[in-house]
Amino acid sequence: MTASVLSYSENADLAGEVSAAVAEVAKQLGTDVLALELDEISAGLRSSGRVVLVKGDRELEAEADSAAAAIAQVAKAKGFRAILVGETRFGTVVAAKVAARLKVGSLGMGKNLRVEGERLVLERDAYGGKFVARVAVKMPCVAMVQAGAYTAIDGAPGPQETMKVTAGAQKVALVDTRLSQRGATDIKSARIVVSAGRGFAKKEDLALAQDLATALGAALGCSRPLSSDLGWMGEEAHIGLTGAYVHPQLYLAVGISGQLQHVAGIKDSKVIVVINKDGQAPIFQVADYGIVGDLYDVVPALTKILKQS
Amino acid sequence: MNIVVLVKSAVNEAELRADPAGHPVLNGAAMKMSNFDMNGVEEAVRQKEKNGGTVIVMTLGGAEAKKAIREAMAMGGTRAVHIVAEPSDAPDSLGTAYLLAKAIKRIGEVDLVVCSEGASDTYQGQVGAMVAEFLDMPFLAYARKVETVEGKVRCEQGAEKGVRVLEAKLPAVVSVVSEANVPRYPTLLQVMVAGRKAIEDLPLSSLKGADYPETGMEVLDVTLQSANRKKVLFEGSPEEAASKLVEALKQEGVL
Repeated sequence: MTASVLSYSENADLAGEVSAAVAEVAKQLGTDVLALELDEISAGLRSSGRVVLVKGDRELEAEADSAAAAIAQVAKAKGFRAILVGETRFGTVVAAKVAARLKVGSLGMGKNLRVEGERLVLERDAYGGKFVARVAVKMPCVAMVQAGAYTAIDGAPGPQETMKVTAGAQKVALVDTRLSQRGATDIKSARIVVSAGRGFAKKEDLALAQDLATALGAALGCSRPLSSDLGWMGEEAHIGLTGAYVHPQLYLAVGISGQLQHVAGIKDSKVIVVINKDGQAPIFQVADYGIVGDLYDVVPALTKILKQS
Repeated sequence: MNIVVLVKSAVNEAELRADPAGHPVLNGAAMKMSNFDMNGVEEAVRQKEKNGGTVIVMTLGGAEAKKAIREAMAMGGTRAVHIVAEPSDAPDSLGTAYLLAKAIKRIGEVDLVVCSEGASDTYQGQVGAMVAEFLDMPFLAYARKVETVEGKVRCEQGAEKGVRVLEAKLPAVVSVVSEANVPRYPTLLQVMVAGRKAIEDLPLSSLKGADYPETGMEVLDVTLQSANRKKVLFEGSPEEAASKLVEALKQEGVL
């Protein structure tokens, strides 16, 4: 048996997807899977592989430094061909740090991971998501699995072992945590997402989008200006290149013009609906269904019909 | 306070065209400082304005990267360091971080290294964390607010489930998100003055040691993202259009 493929995600919602990716890569390599769980077994990397419960001298997932230290130690002790990490902000920093500590290549935000000889090949967005790049790196390596790129698997957890590591020097202190009402996992895992953009004239008007979302049983997200420049919604609601990548069955873009960076985050949606008064808006280029009209007229009409049916 | 801000010269993706085969036409494509780096430069300049000191703009790239440096200098950079890459050099994230860290060490005393959350062209978001590793400095990622007081830096980190407040001793590396600030537009005078400032060239080869990490990273090909969408428009009154839409979505089985 050659060295294993390691998997890690601190986000339970992504763990099933990372498990799917790692199972695929391990199969191609003809090797086994080691699912790393830090501190405690969470909802779990539900792979059918072995589970390594990694315990530190302090909480490992409190910061990226200690999480990276733990993963690097396990990787060195066990040997590895690839370490696949679920793509979140925390995961991105952890992956970069693990790669730097192990001095191996690191690929971000990947889908369609494949083994080609001694290299791992994956596809990732390039140039604001307008293009897709196929990138190869020599194994052993680190790679990130893009949210939504794989259908989560839910196998029975395999045999479990415990390994002790040292968290290392604490360079960054966590002073405070302020949880928002609603996490990004809502839009990342939602079956239907309604998303609001600059077409809304003021914050209060977002109630129209919320009503539509409620009628659909959907999560509510937004384009970058609403969370960043205007601050009408939390940063965790931001969908796009620098925010969340979503992959719902149905995505409704309301009053969103469709900058490249926004489109990057929605292109894996099954069906895209656009409501915008500007028929020339670039967002219509990625629409399955569109209504050219004032959202202030169309959205209430749509909400009413949905409530009736 | 000596602040280094890392910037990247990137293709202006909004104007990037594809050839008939779907490959990007990079030859002659317009270049600029990566959008997100404007927030990094703004933060560095604000920290300098508050605490005094210098802002050293640093980039790695070919001759075309001079334009990105000028843009950053016009926003308030005091000094510029250009790690000059030859067309045959193609460092990946880890190699880039190694080279930037070497160049930062050459500067000597550095209190704060600022970068953005990722580059607009590749958006891997790896280099900042890796630079911190090579420099053995604390890394505060995705900062939406940065404060430096008495040898410490405190950041509000935008995380998936809310905000985390982090603190570390200087020197440290901080990556900022677009919520951190609104980048300034330089005046024509600032642009002209920046155009005359000296840029220190550092050949990439002069930074490469025996410990340079070779990862065998290779971009195999780049093609236009496929967007096979139906593009069906519904017309009529808002009620009529909405009702046709609901019918179509039921047909799709997504309602």
